[in-house]
Amino acid sequence: MLHQLTVPQAFAGTIAMLLLIVQLALFRSVVVAEFIRVYALQSWLVAAICFGVGVTEGAFDLIVLAFVTLLFKGILLPRYMQGLARGISARIELPARINVLLSLVLAGALIGLSILTSIQLPLHHGAFLPRADLAAALAMVFTGFLVAILRPNALAQVVAFLTLENGLFFGTITLAPGLPFVIGILLLIDVLVAVVVFAVLVRALIGQHSAASVSVFESLRG
Amino acid sequence: MLPAAVIAIPFTAALLSMLLPSRVSRVLTGFAGAATAVCIGSMALAASKGGGRLDAVSALFLLPVGIVYGAVGVYSTWYVRAESIGSDGDERYRREFLALTNAFACAEVVVPLLTNMAGLWVALEVTTILAALLVRLQGTDASLEAAWKYILIASCGLAIGLVGVVVLYAAGVGPLGSRYSPEWAQYMAMAGRLDPNAVRLAFLLALIGFGTKMGLAPMHTWLPDAHGAGPTPTSAMLSGILLSDALYVIVRFAAITNDAVGSGMTRTLFFVVGLLSLFVGAFFLLRQRDIKRMLAYSSIEHMGIVACGLAFGAPLAILGAFLHVVNHSAAKGLAFLSAGRIAARYQTREIEKISGAVAVLPFSGTLFAFAGLALAGMPPFGIFRSEIMILAGGFSGRSWPIAALVLALLVVAFAGIVRWVMEVTGGDAPKTMQRGERDIGAIGSMLLISLVVLGLGVYLPEPLEHLLARAAFILGGRG
Repeated sequence: MLHQLTVPQAFAGTIAMLLLIVQLALFRSVVVAEFIRVYALQSWLVAAICFGVGVTEGAFDLIVLAFVTLLFKGILLPRYMQGLARGISARIELPARINVLLSLVLAGALIGLSILTSIQLPLHHGAFLPRADLAAALAMVFTGFLVAILRPNALAQVVAFLTLENGLFFGTITLAPGLPFVIGILLLIDVLVAVVVFAVLVRALIGQHSAASVSVFESLRG
Repeated sequence: MLPAAVIAIPFTAALLSMLLPSRVSRVLTGFAGAATAVCIGSMALAASKGGGRLDAVSALFLLPVGIVYGAVGVYSTWYVRAESIGSDGDERYRREFLALTNAFACAEVVVPLLTNMAGLWVALEVTTILAALLVRLQGTDASLEAAWKYILIASCGLAIGLVGVVVLYAAGVGPLGSRYSPEWAQYMAMAGRLDPNAVRLAFLLALIGFGTKMGLAPMHTWLPDAHGAGPTPTSAMLSGILLSDALYVIVRFAAITNDAVGSGMTRTLFFVVGLLSLFVGAFFLLRQRDIKRMLAYSSIEHMGIVACGLAFGAPLAILGAFLHVVNHSAAKGLAFLSAGRIAARYQTREIEKISGAVAVLPFSGTLFAFAGLALAGMPPFGIFRSEIMILAGGFSGRSWPIAALVLALLVVAFAGIVRWVMEVTGGDAPKTMQRGERDIGAIGSMLLISLVVLGLGVYLPEPLEHLLARAAFILGGRG
């Protein structure tokens, strides 16, 4: 019911839609640099929603969190990832049986599942734009998984994890804006540390196999 | 005071391990493990009497940390001397190993101390990061593969868990206001006023998310790789502590869900993941060729047993499930530590190439047999007691057909474990193999942990009994 939307709700809805569109761009991209740019763009959008919710709710901590997010996730992390990608093949291999079209269909199905799930939940109290937010957050998490599964490349999988985390951050900010500030900062630090550990492993992989493809991971089975 | 101490001790040991030579920090790690175990024992004792700042669930889930970290700390005094990855890297490897092991223990001890649902997620994610670094430490292709799979799958799983935390928070906005700290006690006090659908979804997401960390099937795929490829003390800590830490978070969610919407949903879901885990664990045990992967699949099986115990819902079964957490930690800690020594002496983890371990390593071989038989559910070990409690609770209610299925799967697992344990410990040892062992630290740590493995089978101390009863009451096993 569009006529009932307030300006903040419309803003959140627009951001949610843009986040999903950007997320879908990952499915057609086969270049590492593009993956990283998509993540950077998504992080700017997440920072924008954090800022918007902070202003609407009068929460200064969220405004601070928005700028911290912009700095680390929108600028520093993408640069770090670009440095990591330097010197290795720019292309991301695609699995033989699942082409871009089929992966987009699968992503669409997951988005549908997210919407159906969120419709079942009457989370009304105090949240920013509950139903669409939960659907968008779930969809980003599910499609993030899908990207990680369908792109057997270490850097692509790290970006997939980060976009998935962006979905979580979006959900946390809009559905639970009252979560203590310290938790938000801890989430952010946690992501940064996780990326450093991912980077250690990616460097080791590149060092041992001269490529970032995880197709070489086949020794541990059964 | 004590909660601060159990965090400060391993944290300080981690810091000092980075700075000091390994010959000093390995001794320090031994003391840190032992001191943490003593502090945790005191805290559990206080909680069993209703005193202290911790509730029974927290105190109970701290016990695995005390038992396993206590043993691993002392065991590591031998491990860092024995482990060799090349002359140049040895000292660096040892320092990194000791620092990360202590830091990992610190993160693991924080989890049961917390009752803030969002804080719990952060603490568990920290354990993932540290564990991935430990699994990777040996620098082999297999360890890199295991670490990559682990951090990716566990982090994605925890992402789902965080959605569960957020949905639970949103469910609490009505009764608790838009800005509140997501403390477990607050949710319990307001459980009746939380939106039921949101609580159900939160539990489902938490079970999938944190169940990934707990190694519940079908989210278990990282577990055999990480437990198999990591350094031996890390495997013991992953299996003996980390799985119970993840269960701790699930239990907190389950308690809220049971109070908010009744226990029907939690029991059904516990049945699904429990039976699936038992099935996967039991049948994969039959076809294992690697001694550590065999123990890893046994962990999946035992987490399945715990989930089934919680699912039966009868007070006796819930008591048994909680006791099983402690028993499994001790037995699996002993199994990994002794298996590590056997693998080091035979220079292989392939079961087919190991025989006569009791003759070659009289202490480690015998204790591995003890641990194996305990994990198989043989009397008089503690696991036998807790499995009987779980099954008795299951057969006493309307869930007896499921209890019968659990029993059948336990028989399959029994066959798998006993077969491999006999193959490793029995038979003739290679004639060229050096015999005997004199490493007091390693042997002492294993003997101490074996006292728990055996002791809880023949005698259940009264304070532990009280602790179990209080924890079961919190989850809803009031009968």
